[in-house]
Amino acid sequence: MALEHEHFFFRGGIHPHGHKELTSSSPIQTAPLLDKYYVILQQHIGAPPNLVVKDKDLVKKGQMLAEPGGFVSAPVHAPTSGEVKLLDWHSSSGVKLPAVQIDADGADEWAPDIHPCPDWENREPAKLREKIARAGVVGMGGAAFPTAVKLSPPPNKKIDVLILNGAECEPYLTADHRLMLESPEKILQGAAILAKVLGVKTVLLGIEQNKPDAIAKLSGLAKSGGVTVVPLRVMYPQGAEKQLIFALTGRKVPAGGLPMDVGCVVQNVGTAAAVADAVVEGKPLIERVTTITGSPVVRPGNWRLRIGTTLAEALTLVGGIKSQPAKLLLGGPMMGHAQTSLDTPVAKNSSGILLLSHDEVAQYGSQACIRCGRCVDVCPMSLMPGPLSVMIESERFELADYAHATDCVECGCCAYVCPSLRPLVQHLRRGKAEIIAKRKKGK
Amino acid sequence: MLNLMLLSVGVIALMAALLGLVIGFAARAFAVEQDPRVEEVAENLPGANCGGCGFAGCADLAKALVGGMASPAACPVCSAIARGKISEILGLAANAVVKQVALVRCGGGSGKAAFKTGYNGVSDCKSATLVASGAKGCNYGCLGLGTCARACPFGAIEISDGLAIVHPRLCVGCGKCVEACPKKLIKLVPESAEVHVLCNSPEKGPAKKKVCEVACIGCRKCAKAAEEGQIHINGFLAEVNYGNPPLAGLVGAAGCPTGCLARAKQREETA
Amino acid sequence: MSHEYLTITIGAILVNNFVLSKFLGICPFLGVSKRIGPALGMSGAVVFVMALAALCTASIYNFILSRNIDFKIGGLSIQGNLEFLQTLVFIVVIASLVQVVELILQKVSPALYQSLGIYLPLITTNCAVMGVAVINAGTKRSVLDSTIYATFSALGFALALVLFASIRERLDLAKIPKPFQGTAIALITAGILAMGFFGFSGLV
Repeated sequence: MALEHEHFFFRGGIHPHGHKELTSSSPIQTAPLLDKYYVILQQHIGAPPNLVVKDKDLVKKGQMLAEPGGFVSAPVHAPTSGEVKLLDWHSSSGVKLPAVQIDADGADEWAPDIHPCPDWENREPAKLREKIARAGVVGMGGAAFPTAVKLSPPPNKKIDVLILNGAECEPYLTADHRLMLESPEKILQGAAILAKVLGVKTVLLGIEQNKPDAIAKLSGLAKSGGVTVVPLRVMYPQGAEKQLIFALTGRKVPAGGLPMDVGCVVQNVGTAAAVADAVVEGKPLIERVTTITGSPVVRPGNWRLRIGTTLAEALTLVGGIKSQPAKLLLGGPMMGHAQTSLDTPVAKNSSGILLLSHDEVAQYGSQACIRCGRCVDVCPMSLMPGPLSVMIESERFELADYAHATDCVECGCCAYVCPSLRPLVQHLRRGKAEIIAKRKKGK
Repeated sequence: MLNLMLLSVGVIALMAALLGLVIGFAARAFAVEQDPRVEEVAENLPGANCGGCGFAGCADLAKALVGGMASPAACPVCSAIARGKISEILGLAANAVVKQVALVRCGGGSGKAAFKTGYNGVSDCKSATLVASGAKGCNYGCLGLGTCARACPFGAIEISDGLAIVHPRLCVGCGKCVEACPKKLIKLVPESAEVHVLCNSPEKGPAKKKVCEVACIGCRKCAKAAEEGQIHINGFLAEVNYGNPPLAGLVGAAGCPTGCLARAKQREETA
Repeated sequence: MSHEYLTITIGAILVNNFVLSKFLGICPFLGVSKRIGPALGMSGAVVFVMALAALCTASIYNFILSRNIDFKIGGLSIQGNLEFLQTLVFIVVIASLVQVVELILQKVSPALYQSLGIYLPLITTNCAVMGVAVINAGTKRSVLDSTIYATFSALGFALALVLFASIRERLDLAKIPKPFQGTAIALITAGILAMGFFGFSGLV
């Protein structure tokens, strides 16, 4: 398909109030060193990593705590120097996960095996990819897919476009926005490294038009680097992979397919910055920018937090809460996960910590679908969420499968507009889980 | 008139004879090979075609029984005598058939078990488990949203006080609730078992006690008071050995500190 | 001639639909219409049985029962016809026919036999099959016309069955109040469908 630089408009989508003014002008602040960090070993999609440290070991900052457990896996590193304590973490999804507690020794010393590589331009792409893999870089937009694996498409999939995701379409979140304003060179450097690894010449950086300062800044800097900045229409979920690819290239990812099926690789701008850190400075991924916001928060802001920081600590950084929140979400309001405990640690893909008050949270009802069709209007994947939820509620999973329930990206547009206040995303998640389980059994 | 009547009788008789021959011939020509035992077994089945066995009707179950794809215990409506006869026809040991009922291995209803947070979503246990493993403090306990009750074709499960309870007199042991429960909390146990441990969490005792008053804390009092091999202790969870189950007297004798060791429901039912 | 057959066709399928206008054959209509698959299977069986039954019964009626008899054997003299035997003869013939069809079906397509289950013998006592035989006898049609009429009536039955099955599949997903669940809502829906079909009256 021909590449154009005015973009295409994906169907559906919603335009919720952004609430970004709470934090969009707050510069990124770096969190001070804490006493304890709780590093959950699995912070990525894929095989769980294997521990390489023992209880009571002394580790340095950036030292590998667990190595990849397979091809689709990523290592995890210590956020600071200190003593290791192995424990089982009870995640808020109820699963017991192996984790490492680091009791900080205060010195915050880097491990000796940090090797910067300033002349990366002369290195082989395979060596660069290895460095990215060893640094534990994963998708920082939320999906946490191991970046090195995304950069190793099978030989029959030819990649010709690298897309950088600067859309940040979730309301309330401004972490990527601030990163683009404050570290644009790093992002562009990361983009160049990624382009070299993939061997592509076309790099597109999509930014929603509600961030004109970021568009201006990056356009100015990008001209020399072969990156084209494309302003995007403000619509949720503009930043969803399939919608972004369509908007920038007009290519449609086939149902059940991946971006590489249409020759594209998408990376978040935060991931690009992490790649630059990993290759040029040799630093593994141990911290990220997180937006801590919401009306109950005293001083909403963007903070650079190390992985393993608990939510309780993160909230003290922003001055605590001034009113009782109804919900605490890790991520944005549309696709974030509600948390049940303030002891939960921040992970590599925690783009936001959002508190919502009682009148900001809608109460789901158990009313019937009135077949109004609003959900069909807004679904970016062209599904019928209402009828699908009815099929799933009646346990007719084979009908839901026929109606492409597995194409759902769980963006939440349908639940946002449903006048019966049906928990559509939850129904669809149940349906998808059952369909996939049935397919596995069938095999 | 009489002559007409005689003629009509004659015509009918002739037609009946002809049709009889046609059907007889067709029955021979289009005969389907069938194991004669299938008919014998089908005769002993209730013939209600209720589907409780999971097959499409009594004839279907008879075929499956002869083919070795089902056990005589599958028919929940069958009397014990009929089941014995079927086992005889199939050449199975008569005592291979034991009536089973479902048991929900959790005693943590509202008031006894804490919740970690409020839940606002689909009123279905399988869907609720997708969100933080359910809102209950104990990740292994009954959520009380009724997925099992809706799955039961015989209406044997009641949700009372946020806890699913099986009424053994109504339960036929079809096993649909066992599949429905996302926590794998429901187990088929012999109807004759007198004592159960109503807890399913493998967590450490003190952690369990924090979220549930009636959790099994693994104190082993029941195992000590019972005979050898009647109660297994698996980490911090006691389990009844249904192959050699303890008697009802154990509940009083053991002095279980939390009350998770309980007598089987049918002894207490008056209705 | 062809104009007449067109009239018979539209009449049989839409205007005088066996299920929705004449209210015959309700038993399999309610029993097999839960899913479109078995509904289609049942429709095929009914079309086949009705056509064959009409052929046989019309032949028997036209050539045996309605023949005026007038002969003498020795001292016996018999006059009149045997039309009054039609009910008995028809039911016996239809019953035997369905038995034979069942036997053939069990051998030839065990899958269809399994899915139709109890509804196959139900076609025997089905008033639609008997109804078409009796209607043909009453209107004194020729054997050919009888068979054509029966075939199209059965197609009308099939249409009503498949339409109803499609509606019931959707009804399955709706939240029906407890008192109406099951057969109750099915009957109400069938009634509304029948009212809809009244719109065709006056077409022919």
